[in-house]
Amino acid sequence: MTTPAIKVEKLSFSYGNIQAVKDVSFEVMPGEILGFLGPNGAGKTTTIKVLTGQMPPKSGRAEILGMETGHDDPEIQAQIGVCFEEKNLYLNMSALENLDFFASLFGIKDANSMEVLRRVGLADRAKDRVHSFSKGMRQRMMISRAFINSPKVLFLDEPTDGLDPVTSATIRTTIKEEAERGAAVLLTTHDMFEADQLSDRVAFINEGEIVALDTAENLKLKYGTRSVKVHLRDGDHVREERIPLDEPDSSVRIAEFAASPDLMTIHTEEATLEQIFIELTGRGLAG
Amino acid sequence: MSGPVSRGAILGALLKKELIAYSRDKLYLFLTLLTLVFVVVIFWVVPDTVEESLTLAVSPPVQTLIEDGVETFRAMGATEEQLAELRQTDLAEGEEGLALVEFENEADMTAVIEGTLEAWRTGEGELVLRDREAGEEKPTDAERVRVDIGIAFPETFISDVATGKEGVGVTVYSDAAVPEEIQGAMTSFVREAAYQLAGKQLPVEMPDEDTIVLGTDRMGDQVSMRDKLIPMLAFMMLLIETFSMASLISVEVLQRTVTAVLVTPARVVDFLTAKTIFGTGLALSQGLIVLALVGAFTAQNWWLLLITMLIGAMMFTGVAMVVGAAGKDFLGQLFYAMLFTVPLLIPAFSVLFPGSAATWVRVLPTFPLLDALVNITIYDAVWADVWRSFALGAAWLVVLFGAGLLVLKRKVESL
Repeated sequence: MTTPAIKVEKLSFSYGNIQAVKDVSFEVMPGEILGFLGPNGAGKTTTIKVLTGQMPPKSGRAEILGMETGHDDPEIQAQIGVCFEEKNLYLNMSALENLDFFASLFGIKDANSMEVLRRVGLADRAKDRVHSFSKGMRQRMMISRAFINSPKVLFLDEPTDGLDPVTSATIRTTIKEEAERGAAVLLTTHDMFEADQLSDRVAFINEGEIVALDTAENLKLKYGTRSVKVHLRDGDHVREERIPLDEPDSSVRIAEFAASPDLMTIHTEEATLEQIFIELTGRGLAG
Repeated sequence: MSGPVSRGAILGALLKKELIAYSRDKLYLFLTLLTLVFVVVIFWVVPDTVEESLTLAVSPPVQTLIEDGVETFRAMGATEEQLAELRQTDLAEGEEGLALVEFENEADMTAVIEGTLEAWRTGEGELVLRDREAGEEKPTDAERVRVDIGIAFPETFISDVATGKEGVGVTVYSDAAVPEEIQGAMTSFVREAAYQLAGKQLPVEMPDEDTIVLGTDRMGDQVSMRDKLIPMLAFMMLLIETFSMASLISVEVLQRTVTAVLVTPARVVDFLTAKTIFGTGLALSQGLIVLALVGAFTAQNWWLLLITMLIGAMMFTGVAMVVGAAGKDFLGQLFYAMLFTVPLLIPAFSVLFPGSAATWVRVLPTFPLLDALVNITIYDAVWADVWRSFALGAAWLVVLFGAGLLVLKRKVESL
């Protein structure tokens, strides 16, 4: 039986009286991407901080590759890669110097920094100082830094936040490649589209608690409502109708609309993760 | 995937990164070079000698006074031998550091002391007076004579005193800058001369040496301003490197790059060790460069200076850690840097002023180091003279460096 790369049991953390993470439990298997979906302040980053040894848990336990974490442990840290939400790069150093420096902290003598930069499309800027990089380029640098030690476990905190679609797509491709290589990926995001596209499973976290954890498909089946959306001509206007698929007369109503001379378009619709999140928590993901 | 990494390799990587970051910080690199040039230039520009002599003016010329007295003494029965001895009288004889300038009249003398006339001594020894405001030219091949104090005798002073005439008046003119003690000494000098001319003994027995110097008598070997500057210049260099180090730490903390470092096999202790080694090495090397450029090292004192500067460099690195952890931006960092480093520089300034340091200055953490530095560079102190200062400095080092480590450790752990 395969050992989980990340195993978390009833993990809690608080900042003073504020409970940031409450009895959180989950596992991430090697090669799996777990999307941690929740709004700002839900406890996503705090969970990553505890798992990467930046802060000890107040209660509960967490294991990375079978080793208990929550403290400064070089043995665990040698096997992980972290992409922080804030772009904490050495701005006065070149892209190559940044990667070589971090590679040397992992004891990698012949770091393949150029290849890593090539993967994120920064090879041609390798010798430029990072302060001259755009926001998207810096984010790609952050991702490449997290990959420099070919980690077995990747923690990616909002890796595409605020980026243009092209840069986001590049980053998502590299994340998928890492998972295919066998890395377990814990991806925090409040972008439901990203979570849906990338994650093998999704955990909804709200106010420090995991409120749902399953594959995106299962969540949609379990909590979502399937429907068909039709657009009809109505004089000079366009009228929209939504027909739930799970009702007894659904097929009859769809047939009626299909035969109507006013029919303009007809689409099937499934619930988005955001809609499910709102249904479960009563709040949106952007907040 | 990476294998186990040694602490040495991590330290090496962190130190290399520090060096790159330092070499790319143009502001502090510029400040370091500027300070280096500035301190060395300042050192070589300030005088390395001390004006120890006091120029005493008299009017009328001594010979005029003596010639007047010769007739009186002859009438009083003095022998030709005694009179010849009188003629050879030199007022400045035996008075170390006293130069005599003779004026024909009292008005010229007071004008020179006051500064309305200039006195110049030509190569032939002739005294030339120049009225600059009247447009008179500076005499060629002449050296300016600055007169601090002058005594105006009546022309019949010797005969008047010798014959016991009542109410003989002598005026002592003094430049405003002449200390009161010197003015008093001149008055006493005149009084003593009068007593001796009158053939009366002074009411007290004077010792063979009327000045007893406690400690090392540095007459003729005064500490020059240049020598006094050495400790301050070395500490100024340490101060600049404190700013540089604080800036490097501050950037690391504010940009949270330290957090990225600490999720690798590098631990907080590696981070602090690297900062300590780099900060101390940076400050020490710059301080030693300054001391070398001002020629402070000798075959005997180099290791004592090395110990002094090592303690100082570590102490200032501790301060840099506090400042770097506390400062939220450049101005904040500057504020904290000034707050902590100015008190540490006060002992270096106190060396420039005469007299012992005030008690509150002596309790400042850098005082023992300054004391050692002064004793080593100026008074050729040996280990036995300075070990107590080292011990006290080391105690302060533990306090300040310990505080720096603690503050920075807490800061990076809280990010």
